[in-house]
Amino acid sequence: MTGTHDEGPRGVARSEAPRPLDGDEEALLPELVAHLREHRTKLRQEWVSRIREENLLQAMTSQEMSAETTSVYDNYVEVLETGSVAALQQYARDLSERIIPRGVETHEVVGIVLLLRDVLARSLFEKYQRDFGMLNRVLDAYEPAANRIANTVAVSFVDERERVIRQQQDSIRELSTPVLPVRERLLILPIIGVLDRERARQLTVQLLGGIRTHRAKVVVIDITGVPGMDETVANHLVQTVDASRLMGASVIITGLSPDIAQTLVTIGVDLSKMATIGDLQGGLEEAERMLGYAPSRPDGAPMP
Amino acid sequence: MAAAGRADSSRDRPSPAEITALIPLVRRIVASRVPDRATADDLVQETLTRVLAASGRVEPGMLEPYAIVTARNVVASLWRDQDRQRRNQHRVVDLRPPEAPDEDVLVQEDRQAVAEALTRLTDRERATLLAHEVSGQDTRSLAAELGSTAGAVAAQLNRTRARLRVEYLLAVERTEPPTDRCRPVLLAISGGDRRRQREVDAARHLLECDLCARLSEPLMGRGRAREADVRVPVQSDADVVAARSAAREVASGVGFPPTDLTAIATAVSEVTRNIVKFADAGEVVIEVLEEPRRGIRIVARDVGPGIPDVDRALRDGYSTYDGLGLGLPGARRLMDEFAIVSEVGRGTTVTMTKWVGER
Amino acid sequence: MTSGPRLFSILRQGSILIASIHTALDDSQLERFREDLIDRIGRDRAKGVIIDVAALDVVDSFATRTLRGIAEMARLRGAQTVVVGIQPDVAFVIVQLGMDTGSLVTALDLEEGLTHLAATAGASIGPAR
Repeated sequence: MTGTHDEGPRGVARSEAPRPLDGDEEALLPELVAHLREHRTKLRQEWVSRIREENLLQAMTSQEMSAETTSVYDNYVEVLETGSVAALQQYARDLSERIIPRGVETHEVVGIVLLLRDVLARSLFEKYQRDFGMLNRVLDAYEPAANRIANTVAVSFVDERERVIRQQQDSIRELSTPVLPVRERLLILPIIGVLDRERARQLTVQLLGGIRTHRAKVVVIDITGVPGMDETVANHLVQTVDASRLMGASVIITGLSPDIAQTLVTIGVDLSKMATIGDLQGGLEEAERMLGYAPSRPDGAPMP
Repeated sequence: MAAAGRADSSRDRPSPAEITALIPLVRRIVASRVPDRATADDLVQETLTRVLAASGRVEPGMLEPYAIVTARNVVASLWRDQDRQRRNQHRVVDLRPPEAPDEDVLVQEDRQAVAEALTRLTDRERATLLAHEVSGQDTRSLAAELGSTAGAVAAQLNRTRARLRVEYLLAVERTEPPTDRCRPVLLAISGGDRRRQREVDAARHLLECDLCARLSEPLMGRGRAREADVRVPVQSDADVVAARSAAREVASGVGFPPTDLTAIATAVSEVTRNIVKFADAGEVVIEVLEEPRRGIRIVARDVGPGIPDVDRALRDGYSTYDGLGLGLPGARRLMDEFAIVSEVGRGTTVTMTKWVGER
Repeated sequence: MTSGPRLFSILRQGSILIASIHTALDDSQLERFREDLIDRIGRDRAKGVIIDVAALDVVDSFATRTLRGIAEMARLRGAQTVVVGIQPDVAFVIVQLGMDTGSLVTALDLEEGLTHLAATAGASIGPAR
């Protein structure tokens, strides 16, 4: 069990061509599979009670436990039979997706698979204990396959977990720079809190994407709730305003504090060329006036 | 080389005039290696004698190459003899080629090239290499003998092998490198030493030097840690598009967000355009970086007139061609790091880097 | 209008020319596009020109200058130009590059471009003149 058969963390199923089995394994695995099928109920129950003893998967009800362990067991045996981990991998992903939101940890998932491995190994031991040579060969055939299974499940779980975490991070970011379509062709971006570089980048992506999605012609960026910004971020904001114009949308900035105005002047922004309006209400009024007044080219509009 | 079939002994011997015609060539080869005039004359004589003796077995068209190899060998034997006398060296196997060429010219040439290459190593290099490769002595005992460490000996062996490959190729080509930059460049490539390759600006040299470009090909496959670099030769407008697409593709594999991909592709477009506009030839090399973070490095280099005033070229609005010429400063704004080295009359190298998640 | 795969197309709709770029163009192809388009503006006496660049994944300094040049030439010939379809990433990079786009009229897409021309240049895709 020293992990000598472990494969790389990735590509467990994909890259690993089915290993050529030597004659012994080829003959033994079917026998092994038959044994595990025959004693399915007893072995599975034994496994579940081991899981309980170890206090693993406490988030699950006993019904869920019963259903999931049965599936894992069957998938497990199938891998031993076919040598293909694809189905197990798929199942492990699905399972992970279901249990991750409930706070199941990596060590629990790895733990239950290792328990199953040991439960089955013990049953093999009991069956073959009289024939020591045979036992050795059976275990030799079983162990690499079992390690491979454990590895597959663990990797699937970790992959899924990473995916979920990434997804959560993305949605948090999106929330921090909300793009609100208040009426047709009009977007509002109320920004609250410090606008750091990452958030500024996100704002650009959200805004420019939002202009296209909502076919916006006017955007009001309200920065009343932004205490201050450094020059890089201020520059980024100005660039975003210019880029919006290239996509056919005019930008009105509301709630510009004297500090931020000063920063903009410092980096050489000509404030007379930016549409800035005192408060959000005034900005919205101006936006509606622009929308009702003339489409596209901001001839009379206060845009660069 | 393929024309060098088996010699036909029934063929007519070359006329004395043909042999005489070889004299300037042989003299040049020998003189470039042996400073002492009298010795050089002796060696030219010896070479011609050998060529004459073998001429009946050499294909007519092959007489000149044959003379070149022979001249080199004659010089090499002189060096070896001097070596022997000086050091009373007994450890080196006898590398002296047979007195006269065999009937199989090709095999002969190859052996001669190896022998020739060996003679160009330093005594110590040769001794260590032969002790290791021929006598099978391991690096640890070699290290003990040399008062060094096994690791250092192994590194030295690697360098020696790298040199041997270079000298072998030069011997096969029967040529001396045209510039004094060639050998260091070829050595750096042969050794697969990327740092050293950068130090001697190997990539630029390969653009400039046809011989090294050709010789480096068989050397490239060896010892290179990674072959992941993407290299786009640049000559025409269409290559600009090819270079930026390649950069976008590589950057996408590195994991840059979409806006960065567009920024990288655009920066590549700007610097590559300058190659097409101003230089005769150039290339764009795209390299994936893992350290200290994931990123992408793009090197655009050309053989061209160079930029006389780099600082000015980096200011907005400067251009020597039609338009605003925002190429360089614009590209610099799109990337995280930007460096430009230009030498008037030789060319320009722009190196720019972008890191994942920098902005 | 071009040999080989069509890199761009120029269609006339009433008094408006709609020029669409179909794929990434290199500099000489962009120059050819400019020449063809300016030639057509003169011949067709167009009042409005729409250039659809949605297919361009890179609009660098040369491309921006070319678009600006077309707009300027068109203006001298009495036609107004609207560039449409600039992708979000591309728009941001054009700005980052530091290109002066102040004189360039832009709109989200073809439809917006047509609306704009109808409002400002009195040009429409209805029957010419």
